Amino acid sequence: MNRRQFLAHGSTGLAQIALASLLADRARARVSLEHGGPIRPTIDPAAPLRARPPHFAPRAKRVLVIYCSGAISQLDTFDWKPELERRHGEPLPGGESLVTFQGEQGNLTRSHWKFAPRGQCGKWVSNLLPNLAERVDRMCFLHGMIARSNTHGPGENQMSTGFTLEGFPGMGAWVSYALGTECEDLPAFVAIPDPRGLPQSMGNHWSAGFLPAVFQGTPFSASRPIAHLTPPRGLDPTSDRAAADLTRALDRERLERFPGDSELAARIASFELAARLQLKAAAIGDLSTESAATLRAYGCDDGNANKAGFARNCILARRLLESGVRFVQLFNGSYAMGEGVGNWDGHKSLVSQYSVHAPILDQPAAALLDDLAARGLLDDTLVVFTTEFGRMPTFQKGASGRDHNPKGFTVWLAGAGVKAPFSFGATDDFGYQAIAGKTSIYDLHATILHLLGLDHERLTWYHNGAERRLTDVHGTVIHEILA
Amino acid sequence: MRRLSATRRRGRTRILVLAALALPSIALQLRASPGDTKEISGTWAFEPMRIEHRLPLPPNAPREPFVRGSIDGHILRALQRNGLTPSPPAPPTTLFRRVTLDVTGLPPSPEQIAEFQAEVERAGLDAAYEKTVDRLLASPQYAERSAIDWLDLVRFAETNGFEMNQERPDAWPYRDWVIDAFDRDLPFPDFVRAQLAGDTLGEDAATGFLVAGAWDQVKSPDPELTATQRDDELHGMVATTAAAFLGLTVGCAKCHDHKFDPIDQQDYYALRACFEGVEFGSRAWRRPTEATPQTGRDPVTSERNVETFASVVARGVRFVVTETSDAEPCLDELEVLATEPESSDVGRKRRNVALAEHGARARASSVYEGNPKHALEHVNDGRFGNDFSWIAKERTGFVEIEFPAPTAIDTVVWGRDRKGEFRDRVATGYRIEVLALDADGAPRWREVASSSDRRPYASREPTVYAGRFEPQPKTTHRLERGNPMEPREEVLPGGLKRIPAEFPQFDLADESARRRALAEWIVSPLNPLPPRVIVNRIWQQHFGRGLIETPSDFGAMGVRPSHRELLDELVNILLSGGWRLKSLHRSILLSSTYRQASAPRPEAIAIDADCRWLWRFPPRRLPAESIRDSMLVAAGVLDLARGGPSVSPFAPNDNYVRVYEPKTEFTAVDFRRSVYLLRVRMHPEPTFATFDLPEGGQPCPRRGRSITPLQALSLTHAPFVLDMAKRLGERVERERPNDRDAQITRLFEHAFGRAPTATERTATTQVASDHGLAVAARALLGASEFLWLE
Repeated sequence: MNRRQFLAHGSTGLAQIALASLLADRARARVSLEHGGPIRPTIDPAAPLRARPPHFAPRAKRVLVIYCSGAISQLDTFDWKPELERRHGEPLPGGESLVTFQGEQGNLTRSHWKFAPRGQCGKWVSNLLPNLAERVDRMCFLHGMIARSNTHGPGENQMSTGFTLEGFPGMGAWVSYALGTECEDLPAFVAIPDPRGLPQSMGNHWSAGFLPAVFQGTPFSASRPIAHLTPPRGLDPTSDRAAADLTRALDRERLERFPGDSELAARIASFELAARLQLKAAAIGDLSTESAATLRAYGCDDGNANKAGFARNCILARRLLESGVRFVQLFNGSYAMGEGVGNWDGHKSLVSQYSVHAPILDQPAAALLDDLAARGLLDDTLVVFTTEFGRMPTFQKGASGRDHNPKGFTVWLAGAGVKAPFSFGATDDFGYQAIAGKTSIYDLHATILHLLGLDHERLTWYHNGAERRLTDVHGTVIHEILA
Repeated sequence: MRRLSATRRRGRTRILVLAALALPSIALQLRASPGDTKEISGTWAFEPMRIEHRLPLPPNAPREPFVRGSIDGHILRALQRNGLTPSPPAPPTTLFRRVTLDVTGLPPSPEQIAEFQAEVERAGLDAAYEKTVDRLLASPQYAERSAIDWLDLVRFAETNGFEMNQERPDAWPYRDWVIDAFDRDLPFPDFVRAQLAGDTLGEDAATGFLVAGAWDQVKSPDPELTATQRDDELHGMVATTAAAFLGLTVGCAKCHDHKFDPIDQQDYYALRACFEGVEFGSRAWRRPTEATPQTGRDPVTSERNVETFASVVARGVRFVVTETSDAEPCLDELEVLATEPESSDVGRKRRNVALAEHGARARASSVYEGNPKHALEHVNDGRFGNDFSWIAKERTGFVEIEFPAPTAIDTVVWGRDRKGEFRDRVATGYRIEVLALDADGAPRWREVASSSDRRPYASREPTVYAGRFEPQPKTTHRLERGNPMEPREEVLPGGLKRIPAEFPQFDLADESARRRALAEWIVSPLNPLPPRVIVNRIWQQHFGRGLIETPSDFGAMGVRPSHRELLDELVNILLSGGWRLKSLHRSILLSSTYRQASAPRPEAIAIDADCRWLWRFPPRRLPAESIRDSMLVAAGVLDLARGGPSVSPFAPNDNYVRVYEPKTEFTAVDFRRSVYLLRVRMHPEPTFATFDLPEGGQPCPRRGRSITPLQALSLTHAPFVLDMAKRLGERVERERPNDRDAQITRLFEHAFGRAPTATERTATTQVASDHGLAVAARALLGASEFLWLE
């Protein structure tokens, strides 16, 4: 029985065996089936990533998340506060006994980088990220974001999985589970780590958590292919093929002995998928087909190896989206390897740290936005530029950097389904606490799912006694920003 | 309720357990259980059990050869009700391979298969099979295999998780304790008691259960963050305990009364209060066999040492270090307690007169240079831990505290790291002196305490990551909407009101008493949940799915049992076997139900495609550990050594935020069973992670069984698999030199436990001749037959 024959068995109920096994932890829990209950995607076990319809007409077909690990400062980028400039050097009103993540606060400190009106809309943005600043007309800002944690591990967990704890499925895993993908020869969910290394919450960003492992994000980058994609050096490709062919022959013979074993058939199919994945992923990762102008526009020729590496990752992200990959998470910044060395965590000497990090991010990310727009991909791709939480308007006592601040930070979206240029929500005069248009990470997630045509309250998975959601028991779609 | 003896209740519980075995219908309320076809209420699992003398068969069971015992009777009845018939018995060698892989996680060797076949010839299949089952259950490999499911459930890992994810190098004794508990077939109530209060039972490592989950090592002075972190820790203990032993989801009740189950917020915080004294960390590991050491005061510890002496009016105190465990001495804080509390002191707490904020001044013989974490001011700044400690520049030296005015003192408290992270730089030889007036009225230094009356410091004092216990836990409060910043009324330790078992009375002043009481409440014969939950887990271990498909949710949100009466019959079997799990395993393994063939039957599939009614043995992919271990067996390199520190599948790394890069080269030290591989939280073993290995973030009561192309890539290209294939090829060549045909036969015997068919032989011989035996071996190690339990 080949895969086509196997699929034909779907109607006899055979496929259900494999489905039950594939989704082993998916119990038929007693849940309300009336309107408003969970909507279960129908998953073909032999093609678990096949595209599936959303709950309602979507605005976006796919998502790109640009994740700045370490908490990029809203006050030095997109959240302009004239009052902070005026009251530079004064204490934060009401902040006398404030104890934040690393302790006591010094005085209010204006940004080192100058703010100026940008784009057609004239929104004031700093010159820390001059290239991105020029793309401000494409951006839809959420200035009143709040997070639950003010430490990186739980903070990054919440931004990517909805929960501060370890072990919950990543946003991309939820989306793959709900929608599958438009390109079955590639993973539905790809995580692209920074050239410097993995982000601070590491694999928890793209974990499948309690969802089946098939929905887990696959990490790879322009410099580091999918694990085990190709035979190790020294292994002759003909031998490699011969071994794979023999495995399949053994499995097929077995299938003849056990006709109707659809889990086995699904496994044979998975070997065929693997063979196609090898070809496709190798082709996607080969940037030599890009024009010299494109490579230059992204900054691949830059002498700064980290910038050139991130630029190549940005091109990879575009190529994946172009191929129909459902969810791409592109990381800027890695785990901590010394004070502020690997990422945006500017506690001690923010100016020198951000002067290192900003050039790595700026030109490549701006070129990526341009490229997506030029190829028409922004029409049905949602871009989310985010980080785990914000930073303080003060410098830390005895230091020249800003401490963590979960009470107010900025995220921006671009592309499919969101208003742009547009700004929603605001922090107080100093950029410290969200005071208007307050939006939580749950709200952000609900909105992302909404743009994909998914009701965040009905996209659930039964686990350990609860119908789990990306948004836990919270979240409201931010209708104000929808185009 | 607050101050009653715990022992009284304990005795009564024992009697009740015995009564439950001997005269169950008296000890327990007998109530007719609803038939399997009837609607089962959402609270069925809370209903008392129908405990009876063992009946060989249910009264209305069909008399058929299939029915060997009560299990088969229940299964057959349900099959018939659904228009199904059981499958014929599996072929003997299939059954032998199945039971060996299932019970031990290891495939049988060709020699074991031959022995079994001979035994079948000699004694008949039934006798040979029964002997096999007994042999397997008696083997330590059974315990190693069983432990995996339990470790999944309690989300055991040997790193902290979160951002830094550093190792817990002394967490492995808990894993060994679990294996040992299964090996010696510890009665289930004792298994529960030890994990909740093993520190009081001479089972120190067992309380690794309490702290098996993630712990955020990144600490902050921010009170809200600190409260949230603690909240998460306690929530994890409560949720895991309830899920593991009671099969209930109580987590929802943290914020509001449970929507579906009879659990309210009060219940949740009562459970939580039982854990209020438990802190994450290591403590001394008193192994059961350890001889009692010589006399004298306890050896110094790296964390906290208390020195008491006759009250003396002093102007200052001096701590003189004469010897250390290794390097320059470190003190994170030197506390000097006033003899009497002052009227201005809060509560009855005595004032630490050494604090700089009380005007005391510190002086030292020398100070470690270049690191502000170890400045002198930290020795009396009231802050604990390595980051706020004094380190001397020399191997010996002193710290001196001068009080603003002469004060009556009688206690000095000192330590190297009260947070328990660092155990080096301990002052093992020291004396404490006070500056007081002598008989002549002149100020003079006088020794009041020293290391001389302590037992010697063992520098490598064994520790176990099994939690630390705060003798005086904070009071527990209900939190409004679960918010740790909004404490409301106090809640005392207790159980769930809906469960008829009474929470034993206990002494609130004794931290461990509340945990012991919780354990006794859980294992009370009046608590119907734990035995139902554990028998269902065991059923799941053998059939891939429990009679209740939601093994940690017996509440209203969970799936109703497929065989309600069988579930309680399994409880009967467990109880009549003295709560020992092996007796239940044995009954299941010897049943006809388990011995059925696994081949698909179209007419049965049409009725019951996912085999809920067990018309066949449901075949399934092996767990990742068994796949890896099977490869080691086939390659002939498996090291069956038991216990001890884990072997890391990752390359060493010492960045403070740990980076886990897979190992790519393997030597004999890597060839131990997978249960002994380092479990890194959120980074499962890299070769087999895609085979649904849990990450240790959340409890995993049942693994998924994904099929993904990435698995195929691992099986074809992972360095570990290639290494095993190479070794298997070499082994076959060594065992059958210069005989290709015999080599191919041997290859199949090692991989699948059988000889090849004619077509398999032809295809495999071709590959071996063209590309070598290692390539052919790799093809077999990736084939479904190798990965499947059938």
